[in-house]
Amino acid sequence: MTLVLKGVMQSPVTPLKDDFSPDYATFEKLVDFHVRTGATAISWPHHKAESHNLTIPERKKLAEVAIKTVAKRVPISIHVSALALEDTYDLARHAQKADADAIIAITPYFWKYPPQSIYDYFVDLGTSIDLPLIAYNSPSYLDGIEFTGELTARLIQRLPNLVGMKEASFNSEKFFEILRAALPLRPSFAMIAGVEYLLPSVSLGGAGSYSSAGAICPNLCVELYESCANGKWDRARELQYKLSQLWLIFRDQYPSSLKGGCVIMGRPVGPTSPPLPTASPERVKFIEKQLDSLGILDSEPHGW
Amino acid sequence: MSDFKFGLVHAPVTPFVNGRVDLAGYASVLDFHLAAGAQGLALPMHAGESVSLTVAERQALLEFALKHVGRRVPVIANASEAGTAIAASLASHAGKAGAAAVIATVPYYWTPPQHMLVEHFMAIGDAAKLPLFVLNSPAEMNEVEIASKSVVDLLERLPNMAGLIDLSLDWQYMIEVITVARATRPDFQLVSGTEYMISAAAVGATGLLSPLASIAPKLISNLYALCTAEKFTEARPAQEQAAILYRAFRDTGIAGFKTGMRAMGRDCGPPRPPLAALTDADSKVLLAELVTAGTLNSEPRGWL
Repeated sequence: MTLVLKGVMQSPVTPLKDDFSPDYATFEKLVDFHVRTGATAISWPHHKAESHNLTIPERKKLAEVAIKTVAKRVPISIHVSALALEDTYDLARHAQKADADAIIAITPYFWKYPPQSIYDYFVDLGTSIDLPLIAYNSPSYLDGIEFTGELTARLIQRLPNLVGMKEASFNSEKFFEILRAALPLRPSFAMIAGVEYLLPSVSLGGAGSYSSAGAICPNLCVELYESCANGKWDRARELQYKLSQLWLIFRDQYPSSLKGGCVIMGRPVGPTSPPLPTASPERVKFIEKQLDSLGILDSEPHGW
Repeated sequence: MSDFKFGLVHAPVTPFVNGRVDLAGYASVLDFHLAAGAQGLALPMHAGESVSLTVAERQALLEFALKHVGRRVPVIANASEAGTAIAASLASHAGKAGAAAVIATVPYYWTPPQHMLVEHFMAIGDAAKLPLFVLNSPAEMNEVEIASKSVVDLLERLPNMAGLIDLSLDWQYMIEVITVARATRPDFQLVSGTEYMISAAAVGATGLLSPLASIAPKLISNLYALCTAEKFTEARPAQEQAAILYRAFRDTGIAGFKTGMRAMGRDCGPPRPPLAALTDADSKVLLAELVTAGTLNSEPRGWL
């Protein structure tokens, strides 16, 4: 299928059983829920899916379940980043074999290295597969390691399959520097905000966002994107303020509180795996109060 | 006090001759900004080398500007200082001299806790008896950020607390501040302290404090008008030109502004020590960026 990255794309969490092993049956339900409630694409496992806490075999098996459940209704990309790059290349090959529509990868973890190393790595990764590649920029989580406009332009010129970027700096300058370097070279290049900061990014030329809160409030996500796309800015502000308040609740120890919120919405997805904490009953109560005061409990679907 | 609307405010440079403030030259600078569409003037900001001026020089500069500008546009005084008492005395002077509002950054050099930031701004606001705009610029100020909670504290305790000028470019921060501040005081004003106006206006900023207006006032007026009319797509070419200039002048600082002013036919002398004038090589790079941004051909030359 032609890969169009636009609107609010969902990156599901990973449902876990009480022993922290993957809950495949609930994962199918969750992926299906996202597709039915307006996701324009699926991408898994982002960090909110506890990617680092899953073994490589678990990641492969869950990727297969996700791809099969989506069943070509929308595009699905597989996040292949791992601490060791050997694992990343392995996950990328697996994603292609499993019939994913794209892969997504962040700059390598932990180490400090110059921009040229990011370039070399993405060239190696992008040429190792025959799939579209989405780059992932997250300077605040990776201590300043980041894509610049120049680096992105060089990679676009080198890689015909570099189709977009998940950009999670939430910074006007950084986002726009990359966008204005990329679009003249590849007009279809999709600049995707890291979570649903759609108002400041779509107004600036962004294509959409990955989602933090889609498992809680898919209606809100979809309406915010539609409001931005149709220039209904007053309504968009109202919705963006609301979604941003939710993000502030979920951001700390992500995705612990998000998974706590899923319980309230009647879509329990189990605990969060250590070293991340699982939301305590008190925390879940707090989240419920917040969701109630934001009107989420009335405006969003309950259960699967 | 709450009826003061920030609008499009220019931040003029300060001309020096033989290391002394050139008041005759300053008259030309002020007249230029008024002819070029400033709805207000803020002085002396960092672009006006505030940090390199003595308290006496700052007060003389403000008094001169107030007398010269008269009632043509509001003049906003910068009361930023390291010590709270000195900042408050600057604010008190501004109030008595007839300024329309005051601006204050977090203190220079120190990294006080949030409750001391609130005390600092309270003292300035009490002394000024004018609308107070606090200026958030963590990258310039040892990463000290004005927490959204502190903004709310100020709104609750200081009747003349009017708004926040943001230079962080951070979507998470801007939306958090505007959400909690407007809940406390609906007339709270968010002002963009950089020319990344699209995203700021989209999330609710109504004012712009622009140093680049010294160089490219037509571009900045156009960008501001399109953004306040919420014509974000139409504003993108102007935003792109502003981004080129923003980056060029961020890299070259005050020395760049002085070189740029000379290039535009408005020589204001070199910067004051410890800042040095640009080298010939750096000047060439900067002037090439002015060509790329279209500034040399499309903007007014000379004093108007």
